[in-house]
Amino acid sequence: MKRRNFIKNTALATSMAFVPNFLKGLESIMPSTVGHRNLVIIHLQGGNDGLNTIVPYNNDIYYKARPYIAIKKNKTIKLNDELAFHKSLAPLKHLYDAGNLSIINNVGYPNPSRSHFVSSDIWQTASDHQTILKSGWIGRYLDKNGKKPYNAIQINDDLSLALRGEKRNGIATKNAKQLYRSLQESDFNTILSYYDKNHLTDHNLGYLYQTMIDSKSSAKYLYENALDGKLSKNYPKNSSLSSQLKIVGQFINSRLDTSVYYTTLGGFDTHAAQINKHQNRLEIYAEAVDVFVKDLKRNNTFKDTLILTFSEFGRRVEQNFSNGTDHGAANNVFVIGKNLKTAGFYNDLASLNDLDDNGDLKYEIDFRSVYATILTKWMNVSTEGIISSNPKALDFI
Amino acid sequence: MTNREIQHLYWRAGYGLKPKELQALNSLSKEDLVNDLFLKSEPIVPLKKDLSFLKEYPQNRLKNNIELRRELTKRNREETMILNTIWLKRLETTPRILRERMTLFWANHFVCRDMATNYVLKYNTTLRTHALGNFKDFVKAISKEASMMRYLNLNQNRKNSPNENFARELLELFTLGEGNYSEKDIKECSRAFTGYSHLFNGDYNFIKNRHDAGKKRFFGKEGHFVGDDIIDIILEQKQCARYICEKIYRYFVNTDLNQNHIDKMVDKFYGNYNIDNLMRFVFTSDWFYNKENIGTKIKSPIDLIVGIQRVVPVYFTNNKELFKLQTLLDQFLFDQPNVAGWKGGKSWITTNSLMLRIKLPSMILEKESYSYQTKGGIRNMRIVSVKNKYQEKLKVYVDWKAYNKSVKKVSLDMLKETLILCEINKGTQRYINSFGRRSSKKNLVNLMSLPEYQMC
Repeated sequence: MKRRNFIKNTALATSMAFVPNFLKGLESIMPSTVGHRNLVIIHLQGGNDGLNTIVPYNNDIYYKARPYIAIKKNKTIKLNDELAFHKSLAPLKHLYDAGNLSIINNVGYPNPSRSHFVSSDIWQTASDHQTILKSGWIGRYLDKNGKKPYNAIQINDDLSLALRGEKRNGIATKNAKQLYRSLQESDFNTILSYYDKNHLTDHNLGYLYQTMIDSKSSAKYLYENALDGKLSKNYPKNSSLSSQLKIVGQFINSRLDTSVYYTTLGGFDTHAAQINKHQNRLEIYAEAVDVFVKDLKRNNTFKDTLILTFSEFGRRVEQNFSNGTDHGAANNVFVIGKNLKTAGFYNDLASLNDLDDNGDLKYEIDFRSVYATILTKWMNVSTEGIISSNPKALDFI
Repeated sequence: MTNREIQHLYWRAGYGLKPKELQALNSLSKEDLVNDLFLKSEPIVPLKKDLSFLKEYPQNRLKNNIELRRELTKRNREETMILNTIWLKRLETTPRILRERMTLFWANHFVCRDMATNYVLKYNTTLRTHALGNFKDFVKAISKEASMMRYLNLNQNRKNSPNENFARELLELFTLGEGNYSEKDIKECSRAFTGYSHLFNGDYNFIKNRHDAGKKRFFGKEGHFVGDDIIDIILEQKQCARYICEKIYRYFVNTDLNQNHIDKMVDKFYGNYNIDNLMRFVFTSDWFYNKENIGTKIKSPIDLIVGIQRVVPVYFTNNKELFKLQTLLDQFLFDQPNVAGWKGGKSWITTNSLMLRIKLPSMILEKESYSYQTKGGIRNMRIVSVKNKYQEKLKVYVDWKAYNKSVKKVSLDMLKETLILCEINKGTQRYINSFGRRSSKKNLVNLMSLPEYQMC
């Protein structure tokens, strides 16, 4: 028996038919305008050391500034005459060779914050350092173009600021099935059958009720539409990123009506003894992304998917005493997709001779133009109401 | 004071009151109530944890024995988990509620993560000791804690090539707030903190030849500063008092800041940095009891668990279940996600966590089955699958006798007033009206399962 039929034929169906009126109202709004293209975001948390990721292997300044932690030439994979992959990125070499990877150097913003939390907020809200907005850029995308909370999903327990809009939020979940079943066992249904929608406020209690409503409709949708058969077994175990991407793979390959998926990988704050730690992080990242792309290719969904990898800042050019690096500024951003206009390196690495007052890389490309490019050229929506600074779109898609 | 105001005070300064405790207090004046809270919190009682296992790991044997060091790491991890349950038990049972509430608040201000049980215990005791003391002494004590030095690489901070990790968080998160210092200040600050180190037993140890004794320029002053001098200069900035007052306001009063109230707090706090006085001022202010401040805070997971347990005594017979709950609800004592700590407020709430929070009272009190199956270690536990409905139940003992005694002759209305502080949704009130009038077990669970019970 197919699952949908199964649901119709069981007691579950009765409980789902018992939907309060205001919820029915929500569910009958017109079809979504959200397109079928997917954006997958990977946030490398802690400030990835971009210089030890994309290594300037012919640059004396680099080796001088990092006597103990610079990546030796023989431990890199050459990409051009200046720059090379850290060897842990080997699984991504085929993407680079096939023109499916674009590396944008020196991405940042004016007057950079070197606080993890402030800089993450800036990236997630697409703000400048002066006025940090309260809503996330994906959240505002949902406000303007989304119809359902599940149009943007974070594969996690907590919902990043990026997915919190002014009117709408995306949802956070790790497991669609568990979400649905535990909903059946909770008091949600009883409470929502009494709840008075005219009493809804923006305050915390209203937020709780709204989350209950969103959970209920999303849980049902995901349960019925995320197909078990699309859950690939090839993902490496014991890495949080790969288990997140595995779920994203399942959702994309089930062709859900979701446009944005948000994932994270922590551990990049390498203040001390960074060589092994950083190598391990990059390995986890590259292996997970490699399997993910293959999973999409097998299901013919790679052409509909764009993967953006960023970190809240790069690290200081000069190493510190404890063989680590302190917080820096501009950094590289990876864009992976099938139809890139400018594959390989989008621009050259900024000069290591011309650093800012703090000894950090100067930014050349505002991160908001990367967002603007994705919104206008990939998601086919206007940046209006989403990115306030009105930045110029780039040419990588 | 009205019942609602008293319960508000007890929820923000502690973890709420039982119906009869509340009735017993409602003839007291505001000043008397607040004085009583502070009086009861005067004693400083550290968590009690047996550390004799460390005798098996003497320093001289650890030095050249990697196997033994590994074993110690593993052992420490287990013992620190036990410390977690000791802290939880303390929160449930303590008569020193304000000191314990403040200790948890500061643990999320001076965020630190470590696995060495003896250092963790020592750190926790420092938090409890200074929780209502002098903020200047507090910051200096924290900078000399072994756990903190390990966590923010302060013990790796040497002259000539400083490690900025501690200096940055000191200015950004512990004292001034982002944007109130320059990058140059951070560099000078980290120079002053060079030479910090600790002994094997966790005691502070200054190593002179690692210290940069040169002149530093910091906030317009010049001198051969050491760490303590830097802390003195930071606290001369009024911004430091403001930053701390705002954080206290956000946690104890309201996430929406009222600058008028904050200004008054800063006037009280700046200069003397007496935390006791500041908190007395907050709890006796008229505005603390304003309508917009009562029942508008989302309970943290620990608030929720401890709050239930303080109404009905519950004994967890399996520590693993306590760990599981803390993990699934995203608040694990001694284990914040990062140096900024738990964000609190709306960020506690996600689809998954809210479902579990709504279901929690019936899981604990009615021993209902639950579908949260987990796999993996505590640090990377994840939900994997759902078993048959009736297979998983919490192994808890609930002391209903004590509960029944505590609600004898208490009406459902009084119980509702005790449990729910916020304005109840109109429709939901209709639902409550269908409960009848008894403060029965079933009605207790029903009230605790409302979204309104998530607020305090």
